[in-house]
Amino acid sequence: MILAKKDLDQALKILSQDAVVFAPLITLIEDKSQIDQPAFEKKFMPYHEGAAVGLDNFNTVKPPKDVLFPNVEKLYKYKTGEGAYIEEIVPEDKPKILFGIRPCDMRSIDSMDKVFFTKEYVDSYYAKRRELVTIVAMGCMDTQRTCFCDSMGLDPTYAPTADVMMNVTKSTRTKACPVTGCTIPEDDGSYILEALTEKGKALLDKISSLCTENGAEEAVRDVSCSLKIEKDPELDKKLSKMFEHPIWDKITKGCIGCGTCTFVCPTCYCFDIDNENYGAEGCKYRCWDSCMFSDYTRMAGGANPRPTKKERLRNRYMHKLSYFNERYGETLCVGCGRCIENCPAHLDISEFIEKASKVDAEAKEYSEADFAEKEVR
Amino acid sequence: MAYTKEQIQDMIRQEAKKALASGEVSAVVGWTSTRFADKTKPFFAETEAECDLLVWNEYCVNGTAKYALDDRYPEKKLAVIARGCDSRAINRLIQDKQVKRENLYIIGVPCDGKDNPICKECQHKNPLTFDVLVGEEVEEQINADRFAEVLAFEKLTPDERYDYWAKQYDKCIHCYACRNACPACNCIECYADQYRTGWQGKAADREQNQVYGLTRVFHVGDRCIECGECERVCPMDLPIMRQTRKMLKDINDLFGDYECGMPNDSKPVLGEYKLEDPDEFM
Repeated sequence: MILAKKDLDQALKILSQDAVVFAPLITLIEDKSQIDQPAFEKKFMPYHEGAAVGLDNFNTVKPPKDVLFPNVEKLYKYKTGEGAYIEEIVPEDKPKILFGIRPCDMRSIDSMDKVFFTKEYVDSYYAKRRELVTIVAMGCMDTQRTCFCDSMGLDPTYAPTADVMMNVTKSTRTKACPVTGCTIPEDDGSYILEALTEKGKALLDKISSLCTENGAEEAVRDVSCSLKIEKDPELDKKLSKMFEHPIWDKITKGCIGCGTCTFVCPTCYCFDIDNENYGAEGCKYRCWDSCMFSDYTRMAGGANPRPTKKERLRNRYMHKLSYFNERYGETLCVGCGRCIENCPAHLDISEFIEKASKVDAEAKEYSEADFAEKEVR
Repeated sequence: MAYTKEQIQDMIRQEAKKALASGEVSAVVGWTSTRFADKTKPFFAETEAECDLLVWNEYCVNGTAKYALDDRYPEKKLAVIARGCDSRAINRLIQDKQVKRENLYIIGVPCDGKDNPICKECQHKNPLTFDVLVGEEVEEQINADRFAEVLAFEKLTPDERYDYWAKQYDKCIHCYACRNACPACNCIECYADQYRTGWQGKAADREQNQVYGLTRVFHVGDRCIECGECERVCPMDLPIMRQTRKMLKDINDLFGDYECGMPNDSKPVLGEYKLEDPDEFM
């Protein structure tokens, strides 16, 4: 189906009637002091009338995973002593629509599904949220310099597991630009929507009055990532033999051990469980955890099998690129590039993938100088 | 005549090689290039060939001093390439008794400011502590008003200020990058990592984020060397330096001109008591 760009707001308004629609909204960060430069933030938030929906350009800093797997989730509340009770806190059951997520983020949800649904264990909190969510994926129109999903086997313009796949259409008519005189598209294009599941069909039915049937329109599919990396197709197996490789000493030295990479990662799913107590009452909650923190592996007696950032970062990279393959048959890095863009120490997982692909797995020594292809200036 | 950045880079590489050749140094911490022209990353050069990967340009923004904490009992010295801010960070670590001066070999490089907004307010471009200085000293910018932003912010009402910070801490993702990048955050174990004790909740919600933010600023307030790493590293762009600057401004108002990380062995002003300290509030 074809939806004109000008009708997008109307469509989101209709969809918001019986579901909470999470879309990448651009908001101005309010600053009454007016000292700061006006700053904009793009993140997945419930759509409201008049909101600026940012489907194009850069992806959100925070991934949409918290719609399914909230940062903080209360599990049950309790009281001890007199009148003691335990009461489960059930996630609210309002349907949600995740609108306009990129193919990389869709793949990351597939990975989380594997973790929370398979291997004979179902996480009921995740399952409840997942069941109520309909996902509309948006094909990328342009890619950022840190985007490398197509090197990880994804298609930046197509998410096969989404409920609805949405792309922009190629503009067929052109006109001369009034300023420069060069040829530009006559209109700002439309969206082409395709239902891939029953849930997706139901969603499109709701907005069918705004849409027209497909004609000669063609989806923009000739988008490719700006960052191309050379990855050994068998890297997961190679890494499993590289636990003691000297590369780890070198590449982890710059890491400052913060949790940025794990919290901006769309596939990091680790959580911790803790209590919040007020006198005799309290609640049990779970919240995101990060394998980059020292307390992640610290045991009750104080021993820590991953004592330094070397062991922690090695675990993170191994989990993304090898352990997950071993257990679930796919790589856990989807190539969204968020950790590359946001790492305070400017570490780059894509660089690691390339270097690990090239090194000799049996090597006893490792030097960065071996990879200096040209004089660094 | 001023050196070009290429010449300074060559001199840094030469000094790094000399340091390694002396046999007393295990590695030289500096910066190397990444795949993006406008980003460099911290780098440990451990061989002569790796010294040629060290770079010097306007994108060398990361602090280098804190890497000295990765090995608190080293067999050999660690060489650190230090700009003005890094040298103050090293002084900070020495004054806090976290590293020993004799375990460091400091290659000082005067810095004319990097691609980092905080550098506009820098008052110490030249390294204050070093073993060898590369290049020529640059002119210091004396009139930088480091408290202008705080003064403007103080004009808001308490409610407006609270509202502002509450919204900022709604954005915070609790990653602790500001702590880990900060040379004044040098505790062997941070209170926030002892979260089973109940000091600090692990949930990244407004309440816990604010607890962390307040605790952080009071812990580092009188030891902040104003390198701005906390603010630079924040993935959610919180204006964290505004808090530490407020602390420093109040300390300046109460105790007179005060700067941290200077070469004199001054104690943090809130960490010592003098009879003449102001006590009007009591």
